[in-house]
Amino acid sequence: MSTFFHDWYYLSIRSIKQIWRPLLALIPSLFIPIFFFVVNAASLSAFADVPGFPEGVSYRDFIAPIALFTAVFFSAGNPGIEMVLDISSGYFKKLMIMPINRLAIIFGRLTEVAVQAVFQGLIVLVLLLAVGVRIRTGIPGTFAIFGLLIVFAMGWSCVSMTFALRTQNARLVQSLFVIVFPFLYITTSQAPMHLLPPTFRVLATYNPITYIIEGVRALVLNDWGDPAIWKGYAVAIGMFVVLVAVALSSFKKVMK
Amino acid sequence: MASNIIQVRDLRKTYPTGTEAVKGVTFDVKEGEFFGFLGPNGAGKTTTINMLVDLVKRTSGEIEIDGLKLETDAREIYQRLGFAMQEVGLDETATAREMLQLHGRLYHMPPERIESQIQKLLKLVELEKVADRYTHTYSGGMRRRFDLALSLIHEPKILFLDEPTQGLDPHARKLIWGHLRELNKAGMTVFLTTHFMEEAEALCERLAIMDQGQIVTEGTVPELLQKHGAKNLEEVFLKTTGSTLGEDTVDPSGDPFIRSRH
Repeated sequence: MSTFFHDWYYLSIRSIKQIWRPLLALIPSLFIPIFFFVVNAASLSAFADVPGFPEGVSYRDFIAPIALFTAVFFSAGNPGIEMVLDISSGYFKKLMIMPINRLAIIFGRLTEVAVQAVFQGLIVLVLLLAVGVRIRTGIPGTFAIFGLLIVFAMGWSCVSMTFALRTQNARLVQSLFVIVFPFLYITTSQAPMHLLPPTFRVLATYNPITYIIEGVRALVLNDWGDPAIWKGYAVAIGMFVVLVAVALSSFKKVMK
Repeated sequence: MASNIIQVRDLRKTYPTGTEAVKGVTFDVKEGEFFGFLGPNGAGKTTTINMLVDLVKRTSGEIEIDGLKLETDAREIYQRLGFAMQEVGLDETATAREMLQLHGRLYHMPPERIESQIQKLLKLVELEKVADRYTHTYSGGMRRRFDLALSLIHEPKILFLDEPTQGLDPHARKLIWGHLRELNKAGMTVFLTTHFMEEAEALCERLAIMDQGQIVTEGTVPELLQKHGAKNLEEVFLKTTGSTLGEDTVDPSGDPFIRSRH
């Protein structure tokens, strides 16, 4: 086990350095959530007047958790891209013939995701606070939001790592970001569940992302008694366990 | 009499496409030996060397390295071997020094040992002045030399080299040959695959020539010349494989390790 922690530590340092190399690569995953927040908050503000919309909540505050969520969601694909680059360059083979714990290779990447999630999430949070959004669960709630987003992002990043390991195709892994959109929009990201059309509502109910978004939203808009918080954590932890296991099992595919 | 550090028995590899890349290869490499694996492109050399380090799963056969078995002692084996592969795989987002430090750490070397090894190796491959540059800025020759340094960071007992001088200019090639000779003189076992006759003749104490997935002859250079009534190694090669060295063609199986000859 000590080998695992040792390898995890050093592989994490390598992965974290890659976040800033190059620095410009951070811009798209920060630009997109801010762009959508500004556009949606401005153009859909009248939606808060629709009967059934939560009382006393502005549309800006309603979609503020989505800005936090997408800041993390869009960056969770990076580890897969970095892994497929390692595979295609041949560097991954070097790692495979070193006396290192393979789980540490995955966890090194997960640490990168966590660090990037905190970094990007903090930038978006500062912007949200600057425009007047308030987190009703306070500082403990802010930590809980980051905790939930980090667990989710680490699990979700395993999807791209699994594709990287199984296909070893950089183009495919890079194009995976498009699946983010259906997962993001077939949820309660834009409107409360009871205001969604019936078919959409069914799909959103089965979309695990809905529960993560509702968890973050509950922490921003409601109080600790909201069961959406615990449901969000349960789904994020469940996804994390399953997706890490799938990514780990995909290591065999790298060897022919 | 040195003991065998690598023992391979009836090693076979058949890819899912049905391509038989290696068809029952048996050989030994002695401790401290400079052993060469010579053969035309597509002979199965790279598949064999990749099976020896478990990068390619073998279909059947036995491999023992330094008395250890891959299936049960892979981590101990990895601690003892270095491998400079045909494809120079580097972390493009890191500098050479950072990569050497990371690898030293991952081999559980003490920090002061890592630093002294870094100094020594960068000097050896003449990259001291560019050690803090990102590896993506390196030329092909620099990348190959650095790859060799990287494979030596933990002072392995056995060094596997797969076509280590491919694509290098004559100066860089001679430079690497010199380093390899020194390492071998210092006691390191070197397992080299090459299709350069001159390289095999200049470096290897003993050679195995492989063709179409099988070892067709084996011995020291004088033994091979005598055995095949040849004047030089090239003639031995021609007589045993019936061919000259051809251009690379990727095998229809799609496996990058399997190549066929023109």
